[in-house]
Amino acid sequence: MIGNILLYSLYSFIATFGFAIIFNIKGKKLFFAALGGGLSWFIYLISLQCNMTNVLSFFYASVVGAIYCEVMARILKTPVTTFIICTIIPLVPGGGMYYTMLETTRGDINKSLSTGLNTIIIAGAIAVALVMVSSITKLITYKKRKK
Amino acid sequence: MDTSRILYIAAFAGEIMLQSGGETYRVEETISRICTSYGVKDADSFVTPTGIIISVTDVKGTTISKVIRVKHRTVDLDKISEVNDLSRRICAENLSLDFVEKALDDILNNTKYSNRTLIFASSIAAGFFTLLFGGNYKDFFVSLFIGAVIEVLSIALSRIETNAFFINAIGGATASFIALLSTSLGIGNNTDKIVIGSLMLLVPGLAITNAIRDSIAGDLVAGTSRTAEAFLTAIAIAVGSGIVFTLWIKYFGGAFI
Repeated sequence: MIGNILLYSLYSFIATFGFAIIFNIKGKKLFFAALGGGLSWFIYLISLQCNMTNVLSFFYASVVGAIYCEVMARILKTPVTTFIICTIIPLVPGGGMYYTMLETTRGDINKSLSTGLNTIIIAGAIAVALVMVSSITKLITYKKRKK
Repeated sequence: MDTSRILYIAAFAGEIMLQSGGETYRVEETISRICTSYGVKDADSFVTPTGIIISVTDVKGTTISKVIRVKHRTVDLDKISEVNDLSRRICAENLSLDFVEKALDDILNNTKYSNRTLIFASSIAAGFFTLLFGGNYKDFFVSLFIGAVIEVLSIALSRIETNAFFINAIGGATASFIALLSTSLGIGNNTDKIVIGSLMLLVPGLAITNAIRDSIAGDLVAGTSRTAEAFLTAIAIAVGSGIVFTLWIKYFGGAFI
């Protein structure tokens, strides 16, 4: 099972690497941005494996991914956005959007509303995770600056 | 001290950042950092995703201002990070205005990856996202092809300055059409995995993250307008692929979905 999880994380790493090239990231930042994508999907699969709900797994994955970004941005002296955008890309609920669209074209309003709401909840979980990590980082750096 | 030259350089730096997809609070920070490190008494800027307004007051009390309209936005994270670096160096090392202007020009004309590399990268991204969402190796090859087609289309359409929503709708429609065609011919297996994987290329990841980061920073105008951008992009993709799916179901039946 763990081998399977690692394989899917590798897929996520390669896909994010492609995205990082599209977003014109250069040099060793390219590797670390792609690593963030691999890491976030790894955490998502691990927490699904531990019987967490889907939404909660997305939340944990974004929290860990965002912490990784904040740390890497300070080590490599780059804006946090460079890493955050690549790390969050695999988690963006593209599947949810697709199934919402599909149910709408089929005319099944109940199903399309429930999938749509589920998609928005996932997006909200990711947003809350990003807000939380970034606010806590600001608290920590404020304390450092005051010393 | 030439205040209007400082204003010009700060505005230029901000414009490069905003065009490359920087967060608005970062652009405001950069502008005021450049102005204050050159000794301008009072510098204020108001940035939205579509424009910059700067106003500075020098020691004599003269106020000058500049408005910059940003019509074209792309994603270029390398430029954001280089302008950011430069503005920090101005603070620390007291660089001359000529040097900064030349450095900004260099950043603006920085080399990007070639079109061939971009097409290859998006093909790889689409393919591996399809595998990631549970497609098999047949779906993988179909997605490789769709990824390349989407990138070629968006390069061609942005060359003739089509708006972003039309590009997304066309991209969504093309991806769904090729996916449906391939599964009905037996080249691919799962239509849904192919479409989800290849549409990840168009999903508004930058708009979503920037909307969140701008809202946290307290820039409500920028935050809400970026949220609207993200929703409109998602709707454009859905409309594009929805039309193809509806037509396909109408003329060929829903057997392949």
